[in-house]
Amino acid sequence: MKIKERKRDGVAILELGGKLMGGPDAIAFGDTLKTLIHEGSLNIIVDLGKVSWVNSTGLGILISGYSTVKKNGGELKLLNVSDRIESIFMVSKLHTVFVSFSDEDEAVQSFA
Amino acid sequence: MTDPAQSQHVELRIPSQLLYLGVPDAILMELAGDLPASQKEIDELSTSVIEACTNAMEHGNGMEADRFVEIHFEFSPDRIDVTVLDNGCGFDHEGWRPPTDLLRERGRGITIMREFTDELLFDLLPDGRFRVRLRKNIAPAD
Repeated sequence: MKIKERKRDGVAILELGGKLMGGPDAIAFGDTLKTLIHEGSLNIIVDLGKVSWVNSTGLGILISGYSTVKKNGGELKLLNVSDRIESIFMVSKLHTVFVSFSDEDEAVQSFA
Repeated sequence: MTDPAQSQHVELRIPSQLLYLGVPDAILMELAGDLPASQKEIDELSTSVIEACTNAMEHGNGMEADRFVEIHFEFSPDRIDVTVLDNGCGFDHEGWRPPTDLLRERGRGITIMREFTDELLFDLLPDGRFRVRLRKNIAPAD
């Protein structure tokens, strides 16, 4: 998995790419979030547009990130969830946990 | 090209390392594309096979790279059958219940496989290997 980080209007946007499947991905994603939280960046968007697939361990990585950010008083939202990944969110009921957007402008403005 | 009128059998053996999880996905995307299956059906089966292989690597083979996961694909005109074998002793799949805490980080693999396949069977073979069988029926094209 690749992680590309950028900021827009005070919101941190993490663009993930490749496959989200656990192992080293969990450490890399967790470390990135810890650094953002340490810097005071608590409004976070995770862009899944370039993620080809996710397994249940990858879902765990997103849940862990969601919980960590929330515990620190922030919010983690999703952007560009593909149909394939959206269907996994539906069957595991995680669509009721994560707020997701298909438009980056809307996602950024949702933190205003 | 897969002949849609005949069954095609493909076998694959991968080390228990997560980086190989993309290989069964690639095989399904390539070969199922010649069958009258929708992209949704192929995605659902592939997601289920990735789950079965993840379990096989983690729980069956303990992520030991020199222990292999065997995957058999059977492509038929009206269905795709996939068998995943590992060297573990299985788990209590009959007593398994889905997690009730939505924020629990693990335990969704079986839910995903059950929801995305038409048949899901677990058993232990006499040779000690654990077997997961997944079937996805293909809806006839309109």
